[in-house]
Amino acid sequence: MKSRLLDNLGCLCLILTLLGLVSCRTSQIRPLNNLNGVFFQSENSYREPVLGSKWLVSLVNSNGKEKIELIDLRLRRKVNLPGINRSDSQPISVSVNANGDRIAFIRQRLDKTEILIYRRNLGTTQLIQLNPKGVPRRVSLDGSGRILAVQVSRNGRWDIDLIRL
Amino acid sequence: MAKVDKISNQPLGLSQQDPALSGDGEKLAVIVDKNRRPSVQLKDLRNGRIIPLRYLSRHQPHSSPSLSWNGRYLAVIAQRGNRRLPIIEDRITGRIHQLTIPGEHVPIRLSLAPDGGQLALQYADNGTWRVRIFNLTNMLEPDQPSGFIRSNTKEDIGI
Repeated sequence: MKSRLLDNLGCLCLILTLLGLVSCRTSQIRPLNNLNGVFFQSENSYREPVLGSKWLVSLVNSNGKEKIELIDLRLRRKVNLPGINRSDSQPISVSVNANGDRIAFIRQRLDKTEILIYRRNLGTTQLIQLNPKGVPRRVSLDGSGRILAVQVSRNGRWDIDLIRL
Repeated sequence: MAKVDKISNQPLGLSQQDPALSGDGEKLAVIVDKNRRPSVQLKDLRNGRIIPLRYLSRHQPHSSPSLSWNGRYLAVIAQRGNRRLPIIEDRITGRIHQLTIPGEHVPIRLSLAPDGGQLALQYADNGTWRVRIFNLTNMLEPDQPSGFIRSNTKEDIGI
């Protein structure tokens, strides 16, 4: 049934291509097993992945505790992030810039939802203030790590704030 | 507390979610409710214009947008029939890449590498969130930071 559906999708793409409307390909993509096998342990839960040029940042649930994890894909190793994960807070969203030196994240701590920038070369975290105030939900950094887009809840609707860091 | 500058982002009049910046910081993809259907919308931050999409104006609901460095590639999770699929629109060539995952898992979130060479996917597997990285180097030309794009349709697509 599913393979028939894929066949139909392929036929539709072919027809559209012949009509010159759009060039459309259905491809099965190949996992990079040499990376996936090394990093993703089956007992842990991984979510919210974001790729930099040679970096992957994600939220990992290990033994019931959520934390931010950065992987250097070129050197194939996990990167220490001293000070970013705290026992009294839970990360909600995370993003990394292209060269992996800045990580933006949202965390829930006590009754506050905070946006922070982690500078890996300095090992520091910087709290970002929203103006007007709102509750952040999701972040995205540009490649340089100097522009931050934040999804914010205000007055019952979602806005996107753009912040130059 | 840091001093930060807020950049003007003209509200679209619609609720906006799930932001994704291009690597060069000049484009922003968001999910908006268009006729009550979550739809990806691409904006040029240099002039505030909405950039029209050829293929991704359909196949809603869309979720989890992601952009390459110059915004040449826009990836989202979209609906085809009864399936959720990662779809990548190449805004230079107009080519569409519909991707299927081994094991036919349902994709939840995705992230495209800045050069378009890799895709990270989150999916559910027996009640656990999994992330896997996939190779796209044999499918997409690199979208490099230098952004040299020899196309006379450059301005038309907002690059």
